[in-house]
Amino acid sequence: MNFERIREIIVKELRQSFREPRTRALMFIPPIIQFLVFGFVVNLDVERSKLAWYDQDNSPASRELRASFESSEYFIVTNTPSNPAELQDLMDRESVHSGVVVPPGFAEDLARGRSTRIQMLVEGTNSNTASILVNYASDIVRTYSSGRMVDLITQKRMARGGQIAKMQAPGIDLQQRVWFNPELKSRNYFIPGVAVNIITIVTLMLTAMAIVREKEIGTMEQLMVTPIKPIELMLGKTLPFAVVGLFDLTLIVILGILVFRIPFAGNAFLLLGASILFLFTTLGVGILISTVSNTQQQANLSTFFFFQPAFMLSGFAFPIRSMPEPVQWLTMVNPLRYFVEICRGVFLKGSGFDVLWPQFAALAVFGFCIITFSALRFHKRLD
Amino acid sequence: MISFRRTRAMARKEFLHILRDSRSLYLALMLPVVQLILFGYALSLDVDRIPILLFDQDRSPQSREMLAQFRGSRFFTVLGDIESYQPGEYAITSGTAMAVLVVPRRFGEDLAAGKQVPVQLLLDGSDSNTASIALGYARAMVAGYSNQLRTEYQIRNGAGEIKPPVDPQIRVMFNSELKSKNYIVPGLIAVILMILASMLTSLAIAREWENGTMEELLSTPVRASELALGKLSAYFILGALDTVTIVLAGVYFFGVPLRGSALVLGISAGIFLFGAMSWGLMLSAITRNQLQANQLGLLSSFLPAFLLSGFVYAIDSMPALPRFMTYIVPARYFVAMMKGVFLKGVGMELLWGEGLLLLLYATVVFVILTRKLRQKIA
Amino acid sequence: MTPHENTVIIDKLVKRFGDFVAVDDVSLTVKRGEIFGFLGPNGAGKSTTIRILCALLAPTSGVATVAGYDVAREPEAVKLHIGYMSQKFSLYDDLTVGENIEFFSGIYGVPRDIRDERRAYALRMAGLEEKEQTKTSLLAGGWKQRLALGCAILHQPPVVFLDEPTSGVDPLARRAFWDLINELSHAGHTVFVTTHYMEEAEYCHRVALMYRGRVISLGTPHDLRKQLRSDTLPEPTMEDVFVSMIEREDAALAGGKS
Repeated sequence: MNFERIREIIVKELRQSFREPRTRALMFIPPIIQFLVFGFVVNLDVERSKLAWYDQDNSPASRELRASFESSEYFIVTNTPSNPAELQDLMDRESVHSGVVVPPGFAEDLARGRSTRIQMLVEGTNSNTASILVNYASDIVRTYSSGRMVDLITQKRMARGGQIAKMQAPGIDLQQRVWFNPELKSRNYFIPGVAVNIITIVTLMLTAMAIVREKEIGTMEQLMVTPIKPIELMLGKTLPFAVVGLFDLTLIVILGILVFRIPFAGNAFLLLGASILFLFTTLGVGILISTVSNTQQQANLSTFFFFQPAFMLSGFAFPIRSMPEPVQWLTMVNPLRYFVEICRGVFLKGSGFDVLWPQFAALAVFGFCIITFSALRFHKRLD
Repeated sequence: MISFRRTRAMARKEFLHILRDSRSLYLALMLPVVQLILFGYALSLDVDRIPILLFDQDRSPQSREMLAQFRGSRFFTVLGDIESYQPGEYAITSGTAMAVLVVPRRFGEDLAAGKQVPVQLLLDGSDSNTASIALGYARAMVAGYSNQLRTEYQIRNGAGEIKPPVDPQIRVMFNSELKSKNYIVPGLIAVILMILASMLTSLAIAREWENGTMEELLSTPVRASELALGKLSAYFILGALDTVTIVLAGVYFFGVPLRGSALVLGISAGIFLFGAMSWGLMLSAITRNQLQANQLGLLSSFLPAFLLSGFVYAIDSMPALPRFMTYIVPARYFVAMMKGVFLKGVGMELLWGEGLLLLLYATVVFVILTRKLRQKIA
Repeated sequence: MTPHENTVIIDKLVKRFGDFVAVDDVSLTVKRGEIFGFLGPNGAGKSTTIRILCALLAPTSGVATVAGYDVAREPEAVKLHIGYMSQKFSLYDDLTVGENIEFFSGIYGVPRDIRDERRAYALRMAGLEEKEQTKTSLLAGGWKQRLALGCAILHQPPVVFLDEPTSGVDPLARRAFWDLINELSHAGHTVFVTTHYMEEAEYCHRVALMYRGRVISLGTPHDLRKQLRSDTLPEPTMEDVFVSMIEREDAALAGGKS
């Protein structure tokens, strides 16, 4: 390998990319805008969910139950329909996410110690949000119910002439200790993934054009008659964009911490190391696409056909754990998957190399293979 | 006035191009189905088989009975039992386990004595949604066992059986089994059609420029609107064909219920395709460089259709600015309509608002498209 | 290398693309310092031959050596000893004249101590001393070609291949370009040049006429013209030579077939 030749390619690429203010801006502004927009979007938190309260009883007891819904941070009562059709309509229009129907005689049943039923309707189109709502609502009702039950037992005992003191009853209390993301903010989980995907697009698009553009304008033929080696060309074409990608990534990480208040629990240098490895994999894929494409149009489409499944199967939005097993194996060859895992580990868990080394190893192997493969695939011949 | 004859000639020419170019035709017809089947099969948001470790410090009949419920649950996969905190903490950090359930010493004894006893759940909260749901499952199971104990205790102590006073009857509407596929598949259809529309149109224009036939066309008496309509209608037929195939695949392959009217679905898909394809054509009319148009087309189709359409991330929870931006993402309206028709079985009486906005979007984009084309022709 | 040694040797070279025979059994030799012209209509196989000699295409059969290296077996060694200029302008339009020269010096590994000297030489030869800072896209066609030639000889290659260097350039600039080629030849470079401008053949030491993949005639321009000289055509031009050769070839082919 001749480092002078690699350097010449790098200098040339930098000159070509940075000369025009427009192309210069294109390397930094779109990723940041995308990050800001998508960063605000990726939120699955269930809070202040709209609830319709259809109270057929309208008693102090039902109002008490409503108050315990409203005092939780998960529900706000936005509508109080007065008949079932109105409730149904609210649900159909998605004006509310759930509805509670308190039956007539609710307070009376409670007072007489009869078990009473309330009905809850939950909009289930998004199954996960619905599950979470169901959990919250069950919790609220359970708490309310236990309180009532203790009152009831006390009443019974008093009626039998027992002591006034509340009766003891066994119970198990689940105390959760949530690690890494104690407030359970979904944004903390998704934003590292957004960063990974944006960097992937930028770097893929930059390099996918790198070689095919020269093929189209004819300069590639001129390069092919020079003594340059394929690997020198590959490295010369990827290194400058690795620097651009790293710069973009740094900006995005800083924005993530400052704007979105993502906790950064881990080691910045570890993240830097992983970023460098990762950039070589995406740049390698870009270069490979560029090598096998004949026109920029083809390169562009191929980039997209790599990116789309890589994005979907990265574990960013859809957990890999929930995929069918054959697809889980498929994700093993997806470099995005490993980098998403590393980012989440470093950001949220503060994981170190001792935990993340398999992901590092996978990225290194992938990056090495793909760049070597493109160098082998690149012939200095026209046929 | 738009000449019907010229428009038809334009459409026929475009259609012949499509038929002759077998590679593109193949791509356009196969790709959406393949994508739907792959992603529809691969992607799921169902939370089950949560990997959990059990740490039983008590080893009493009660603790075993409670843990047996976790072992038997389909929501949890018990990875093993541990003897100390350390392996549990490591498993959570490295991501092999999502939760550790810790039963304290004297658990059985205290329960028998009628005391309130804590059990601890260590939970990896990084994936907050899965964590919330896992926490809900665990709570429900512990509460169930707790109620059972309480009832037994009360009977033993002569208080008689007491049912919980309030019994919530929860009914999940539209997706009663809470299957995530049921909303992923309709959303995927919208994303896939959006991509297809942008890809087809950008190919259409790029070819004209590459072959130099665009200049030729611009010198004929064909009008901008005829050019646009002609091209659009040819690709529209292809897109419509795709829509039918992937909707059928969604219904028969993935068993997603189609509760509403197929006609409403067809009409909304039609307006959506028209709008999305006009958008693709418009991009190639306003950017000078075809490659840029192509890149912009793909960038503006996939990620916005995925992230800004309400497919995965609820539009309601977005801050004002991104929420405002969703109004220019046609997939937003289409996803809402797809969900309505597929899962809720509602019709135009509720979806007319989305339909109208989608139509407005398509019209505006089409008008800009013809304007820009006219500037080129002149 | 001694003078008059053969720097390009082609022996029974064949290149097929599927059923199509682009180069059909071509054999010839070119001496050091010679300006060797390759003439023929478009599609005759000139560019394919040149690309084989530059190791850009692999020959189907036959042998070719350039500056002593086999193009099929030692392509990288060949590339160190040749300069190449393709028919399509292929320098970087968005770099300046100076940057293009600098880039190719680096890629060719021109030793640092003589780099400035080579750069000055290339600039002077191309007549672009004043335009070092100019963006290449702003140069007129003729200047671009001179710059391309300048860049192709930075590493002082013994053999220079020029594929249609003057196509699309105005006559005056073409004339100036041929002066450059002459200069190179005097400096000891072998110049292998293709063209379809018949009058340019006059500037070559020797020319080969290529038609349908075959060399149908080879010799000095003077000899070729002399062969055709007759009473009706006392002063034949290269164009006349060319036309009559092709007619004869077509007739032979037709005769062979019937």
